[in-house]
Amino acid sequence: MKALILVGGFGTRLRPLTLSVPKPLVDFANKPMILHQIEALKAIGVTEVVLAINYQPEVMLNFLKEFEKKLGIKITCSQETEPLGTAGPIALARDKLIDGSGEPFFVLNSDVISEYPLKEMVNFHKGHGGEASIMVTKVDEPSKYGVVVMEETTGKVEKFVEKPQIFVGNKINAGIYLLNPSVLNRIELRPTSIEKEVFPKIAAENKLYAMVLPGFWMDIGQPKDYITGLRMYLKSLRKKSSTKLSTGSHFVGNVLVDESAVIGYGCLIGPDVAIGPGCIIESGVRLSRCTIMRGVRIKKYTCVSNSIIGWHSTVGKWARLENMTILGEDVHLGDEVYSNGGVVLPHKEIKSSILKPEIVM
Amino acid sequence: MEKVVAVIMVGGPTKGTRFRPLSFNTPKPLFPLAGQPMVHHPISACKRIPNLAQIFLIGFYEEREFTLYVSSISNELKIPVRYLKEDKPHGSAGGLYYFRNIIMEDNPSHIFLLNCDVCCSFPLTDMLEAHKRYSGMGTVLVIKVSAESASQFGELVADPITKELLHYTEKPETFVSDLINCGVYVFTPDIFTAIQEVSTHREDQANLRHLTSFETLQSPTRALPQDFVRLDQDILSPFAGKKQLYTYETMDFWEQIKTPGMSLKCSGLYLAQFRYTSPDLLAGGDGTKSASIVGDVYVHPSAKVHPTAKIGANVSISANVRVGAGVRLIGCIILDDVEVQENAVVINSIVGWKSSIGKWSRVQADGDYNAKLGITILGEAVIVEDEVVVINSIVLPNKTLNVSVQDEIIL
Repeated sequence: MKALILVGGFGTRLRPLTLSVPKPLVDFANKPMILHQIEALKAIGVTEVVLAINYQPEVMLNFLKEFEKKLGIKITCSQETEPLGTAGPIALARDKLIDGSGEPFFVLNSDVISEYPLKEMVNFHKGHGGEASIMVTKVDEPSKYGVVVMEETTGKVEKFVEKPQIFVGNKINAGIYLLNPSVLNRIELRPTSIEKEVFPKIAAENKLYAMVLPGFWMDIGQPKDYITGLRMYLKSLRKKSSTKLSTGSHFVGNVLVDESAVIGYGCLIGPDVAIGPGCIIESGVRLSRCTIMRGVRIKKYTCVSNSIIGWHSTVGKWARLENMTILGEDVHLGDEVYSNGGVVLPHKEIKSSILKPEIVM
Repeated sequence: MEKVVAVIMVGGPTKGTRFRPLSFNTPKPLFPLAGQPMVHHPISACKRIPNLAQIFLIGFYEEREFTLYVSSISNELKIPVRYLKEDKPHGSAGGLYYFRNIIMEDNPSHIFLLNCDVCCSFPLTDMLEAHKRYSGMGTVLVIKVSAESASQFGELVADPITKELLHYTEKPETFVSDLINCGVYVFTPDIFTAIQEVSTHREDQANLRHLTSFETLQSPTRALPQDFVRLDQDILSPFAGKKQLYTYETMDFWEQIKTPGMSLKCSGLYLAQFRYTSPDLLAGGDGTKSASIVGDVYVHPSAKVHPTAKIGANVSISANVRVGAGVRLIGCIILDDVEVQENAVVINSIVGWKSSIGKWSRVQADGDYNAKLGITILGEAVIVEDEVVVINSIVLPNKTLNVSVQDEIIL
């Protein structure tokens, strides 16, 4: 089976992190975001993953070489020379997705994190015999998104309503599709929207079905949702009784620590914390609801909450970081600095406090 | 025949993030002011020095960033211009010393040292003549500024008759003098001996005294590497008052180009200077066959400006720009490949490469060159949709603005 991951864009909402690497390579729970999806695809027998990209192809290609070997799955790129929207890239990758077997292929949105019940989706797709299946997820505020109106029992999709003003349903497009090769005949090689042009046509022919995604779903394309997403991801790890989560008196709630990270004595870590490879957390540090990326050093007695600390940064002693503080790559905070929502671009040194949310360029 | 060489310090990528977001796309020395890369202005000034043999650019950017520019400017000016890459920062004097063998190749009698991010009239010929009269080791270009602003710079005290440099101090807390260091110097080859003395002295000091760890933390130099020598603190200061260093005062304009806001101001200063030195570079037009031009304006020959547009004052339009009908541009730098659509207004802003300004949209700022958001900056490939207003904001590359913004940094 094959799969296409829509990588697209510049990831501007995840800046300053995406000023250093393309978005799919930004780490989430100690792994590049896109690796979560590739591993889920490999697990159900996908043999080839195509990445639809349009930005920094050299960086992506280097990444691919490394992971192709490690994972034992073929990874190729399909590069847009002009933005093709949400459906165009599928047409662009046509030759890579069709192998004559007639098997359906997956299309995934790279910003999404979920439990990826892909096996169940394959069974669902075979069961209804339609042309395309999409995953939908229930949300509290549907009018922020595109709502999928469907028949509850069969899952047959009636229509899509973009940002509805009145309540028409609470299920939105989760960005995970399973498509028969015939769908490719419906997509022209030009900027096309899958939700506005392609899916409505398939739905009108009663050939589009939606499955409600069990478990969590999050679009982690921006820092606030990234932090919420980590909480959901770690919670789901806990449910599966994962041994990956840390245990001990210094940990509270769900915490993921890479085995090469070092944690000093007297720390209190958690809940909802991920600590990446090579990190050094010195003694007396308090971390909660935050992500500490590869190679970061957090010095003694510091307190970090609701923040993301970028690769190879250092945070001084007695510092306090909170309220969506985001440090880009190679940022160094001095001792005793307080940051309330400071967003700091890469390669900076910060010696004075940031008292209210501010971007430091 | 006495030969002269010039050295222009261009810096490197990690030094200073103040030029963001424009520095994401281009090294600061190559950012265009008045239609020419920043470094072009000191280079052109050096070309006017009689008997100039070579020009060296010293920095720690990757060589490939400068290859194209250096080759084309050498051709254009018919004089060798070379980029020398430091393996690591050596300081303003250390860099000069590091490459002394190459610099002294032609056995020059005098060496000019200029900082690339200085905007001034570069009166180098007059400065050289004055230096020869003083017969010292070096002459520093100085300018009088207001007493309040002087403390941001290196302050000098000079003898009013002999013009000798008597005292130098960097960014003092109390008032020392309203005469400041412009970052332009001329030296005789003795300067290399002076720099070496400093390095040796520093090594001897380190060997002689065993500093306690407390002392090393307190010491302002914090054990600089032996080969890191700064021109101001390490050379000007100790050699002041010893009849070795002199000053030459300029009465023209002088600014430092540290931020994008200042680059807009300096672009304007150079455009004003073109009126005297190269008036053919400035655009002219009255709205009949070509656009109306007000004040000093530069338009690249490949740019297309609709005749109903009104441009100026202080506008610089780069290559392949398309300015549509009814557009008004005041106080701005429009970089390569930008499209400004019909009836848009751009005031006190810098519009980044390949950006698109929509119809009836308005991109403007107060015009305070020193304020953080005093000039609106759009990074590379920013799209401002029709009728959107952008005021006093900075927008990072590749963003599309479909709602109006004010006083914001958009990542």
